[in-house]
Amino acid sequence: MPSRLRWAALVVLSRGIACGDGGAPLFRTDTRDLTITMFESPAPVSAGPANLSVFVQERKGLNPVLDADVSLRLRAVASGVEVLARLTRGQAPNKLLYGAPVMLTESGKWDMSVTVIRKGDRTEATGTMEVAPTSGKASSYRNYLAFPPLTITAFALREMLIRRRARG
Amino acid sequence: MDPVASALLESWTIDLKTVCLLLALAALYSRGWLRLRAELPDRYTPGRLAAFAGGLAAILLALASPVSTFGGLLLQAHMIQHLLLIAVAPVLLLLGQPVLPLLRGLPRRVFRDALGPFLACRELRQVGRALVHPVIAWSALAAAVIVWHWPPLYELALGSQAWHEAEHACFFWTALLFWWPVVGVWPSRSTWPRWAMIPYLALADLVNTGLAAVLTFSDHVLYASYLSAPRLWGISALDDQAAAGAIMWVPGSIAFLIPAAIIGMRALEPAGARRIRSINRRSVPRIPARVPIDFLNMRVLGPILRYRHFRTCVQTAMLGLAVVVIADGIAGPQIAPMNLAGVLPWTHWRGLAVIALLMAGNLFCMACPFTLPRDLARNFVTPRYRWPSRFRSKWIAAGLLATYLWAYEAFALWDSPRSTAWIILGYFVAAFVVDMVFRGAGFCKYVCPIGQFHFIHSLVSPLEVKVREPAICVSCGTHDCIRGNARQRGCELQLFQPKKLGNFDCTFCLDCVQACPQHNIGILPVPRGQTLRGDRDGSGIGRLNRRLDVAALALILVFGAFVNAACMTEPVMTWMHRWHVRLGLSSMVSIVTAVYVAGVVVIPLICSAACGWVSHRCRQGSNRRDLTCSFTLALVPVGFGMWLAHFSNHLATGWNAPIPAFERLLRMSSSGGYPVASMPGWLPPLELLFLDLGLLFSLYTAWRVACRTADDGRTSLAVMSPWSVLASSLYLAGVWIVFQPMQMRGTM
Repeated sequence: MPSRLRWAALVVLSRGIACGDGGAPLFRTDTRDLTITMFESPAPVSAGPANLSVFVQERKGLNPVLDADVSLRLRAVASGVEVLARLTRGQAPNKLLYGAPVMLTESGKWDMSVTVIRKGDRTEATGTMEVAPTSGKASSYRNYLAFPPLTITAFALREMLIRRRARG
Repeated sequence: MDPVASALLESWTIDLKTVCLLLALAALYSRGWLRLRAELPDRYTPGRLAAFAGGLAAILLALASPVSTFGGLLLQAHMIQHLLLIAVAPVLLLLGQPVLPLLRGLPRRVFRDALGPFLACRELRQVGRALVHPVIAWSALAAAVIVWHWPPLYELALGSQAWHEAEHACFFWTALLFWWPVVGVWPSRSTWPRWAMIPYLALADLVNTGLAAVLTFSDHVLYASYLSAPRLWGISALDDQAAAGAIMWVPGSIAFLIPAAIIGMRALEPAGARRIRSINRRSVPRIPARVPIDFLNMRVLGPILRYRHFRTCVQTAMLGLAVVVIADGIAGPQIAPMNLAGVLPWTHWRGLAVIALLMAGNLFCMACPFTLPRDLARNFVTPRYRWPSRFRSKWIAAGLLATYLWAYEAFALWDSPRSTAWIILGYFVAAFVVDMVFRGAGFCKYVCPIGQFHFIHSLVSPLEVKVREPAICVSCGTHDCIRGNARQRGCELQLFQPKKLGNFDCTFCLDCVQACPQHNIGILPVPRGQTLRGDRDGSGIGRLNRRLDVAALALILVFGAFVNAACMTEPVMTWMHRWHVRLGLSSMVSIVTAVYVAGVVVIPLICSAACGWVSHRCRQGSNRRDLTCSFTLALVPVGFGMWLAHFSNHLATGWNAPIPAFERLLRMSSSGGYPVASMPGWLPPLELLFLDLGLLFSLYTAWRVACRTADDGRTSLAVMSPWSVLASSLYLAGVWIVFQPMQMRGTM
């Protein structure tokens, strides 16, 4: 297999997940004038609060588009629950992206539709997103829950060292 | 500025935890540097301080700047981030000679008691020396750089935040080890001659150059993620990779070769080498004796606190606020979030009072408005009676406290502004009547349940009103601090300063400070919880660890913290409603009563009696009652942790609740509706942290009590084990409570 093909296959298999601090790319769509890339954070996204971002570029030259009006519609396939959000650059950590925090109420497949309006032109991109079941609160805060046992272990070690030193 | 360039520069991802950590390190280093500079000015120069600050700034640039934000889209940005972590930040930090300043910057007790045994441990020192040995340090960095640039691992780091952080940690820590022998960090001694650092650096550059060459000249993209990432400005992934290789090659090599050149030039200057050797030979300076901070002697705060009418001013302000709250509670709308009596006492006052206890001391009693009317009345009428000796205990207060906790939930006081107003009014009347009949501060000492809450929890506060120089009190014949004088009354709670023990029963009224003719009383920092661990006789309170009434009070407060918080969680409320329906009761009062009797009286009694019995079995010959009382007091910190978690939750979710209430009261136009409850993301971690610290403090206190009680470590462990289980169970209950959906009281 030629080397470039081999690497292209790897790209497809690895579902490229470069974090651009909008998170990991979910899908990319090329329209007539624009290239729209959707990001999710955290990756993979799970039920609960999530940050979704969109990177809008001119198709020619791939220059970032910073003056668009971007909105997002999410629809849970199973229950039909809908979430609407207006994405702005102010809400995205990467100011080249448009982002918004959203609340994903359930796990499973969600249909996504991004609408970009720029200079009166309306462009739409669609895709799907797989939302994992919510991770338990205990696992989200594991660092805080691990703090007491770790400190107790360090304290026990300290006491052991003191006693050993006292024994000479 | 070009909008794209502007957007690029604005793309900072500042993580609060990282910033706090860097600020804490900066503060620690600066504190230590200031102390050491006085002793070794030629070693701890301003340049060292600047270098350390520069190192911290480099870390911030690497982790929070646009370099980090765009690291996932552009490999060259990612490469700059890695260079900052490998070749800039560690070098600058080590040039700051950070070992001694960081250790000296720590609080003395942490340095001596917590870290001391580890620093003195021979094996750990050997491990430390081995880690910075040039062979190991060089190999560690080379291995980290090569392994993490292997495509599968690099991809792993790009796809997972946790692995990305692990990669950065590997780079940073191995680089710190690598640069250690190059910089020559004092007071560690280098095992190799200085000239050996030249080949050491040259070999490292060889590894760097090899990797850079692979990246630069590769005919395909090595890291697949960059192929799928959106391309910026038409830069292809392959060009991006070649540019990243060039960055690694040229600035990376400069980072290794310039230090090699400097070392080479210095090695050729005999005078310079001699000067460095002479500085290095100096011994580590001893830690000077600590000068305690006295808040009464502080430049701005001191005169304010010492002002004779300071307390009266604060009490007057609080009295004014209480009058407004009472008036609004009685005459205002009976919707808690819209009424000052519904938000100020339950959301703000409680939250601020526990934060004050945590950060300073019993500031609420200092500002207590309830005693102000009786103070004014005592100018005209002098009470005749002494407080009856049979009631000189905390039993009345303990009963009132349990009743208050029960009434709060049973009658939903938080939701009833009028009831709240009447309770505050009743409090004023009770304080007035009791203190007009009995001399001293009988109400504060023996009746006030709020005061007892503060007395118990101020045992873990960091400040205490205490004697500055005990030797001066030995020669004092007047004892004005307790007896008073013509100008100033003495301590109304019968606490004789030279024999005062901790904060228990101290209202921070500062009467003793005003009365002392020697000006020998200050507000001084003390180790938290010292009184809980000790076994000393204190003036006006006796031995706390032998008082059943104090133990009962502590038990009510500890278990009350958990019951009180649990009753606002969704599962407990649902459970109570289910029983209410199943039993066909007309109101919830009987269910709440059963929960409170069980949770605040019966279960605590059974638990403490059982733990006391087990401890007594493990330590034959000890007094079971004293043992139980001592260990019961050790539970206070975990209970305080729960109160802090609970009240900080209310404060954080309803901090803006009084704004519309004040607007209504002042007949101003509304600034936009009523406060809507929202839980900030930082709140659950903070609540867990309070619980964590409470548990650890309780366990530490129990351990000290056990060591006092038993002769050897094994018996100590056995004696404290039932109490550790109890404290841990309470902690787990607290964690469960924090994770439950909460009723947002005081908000719409």
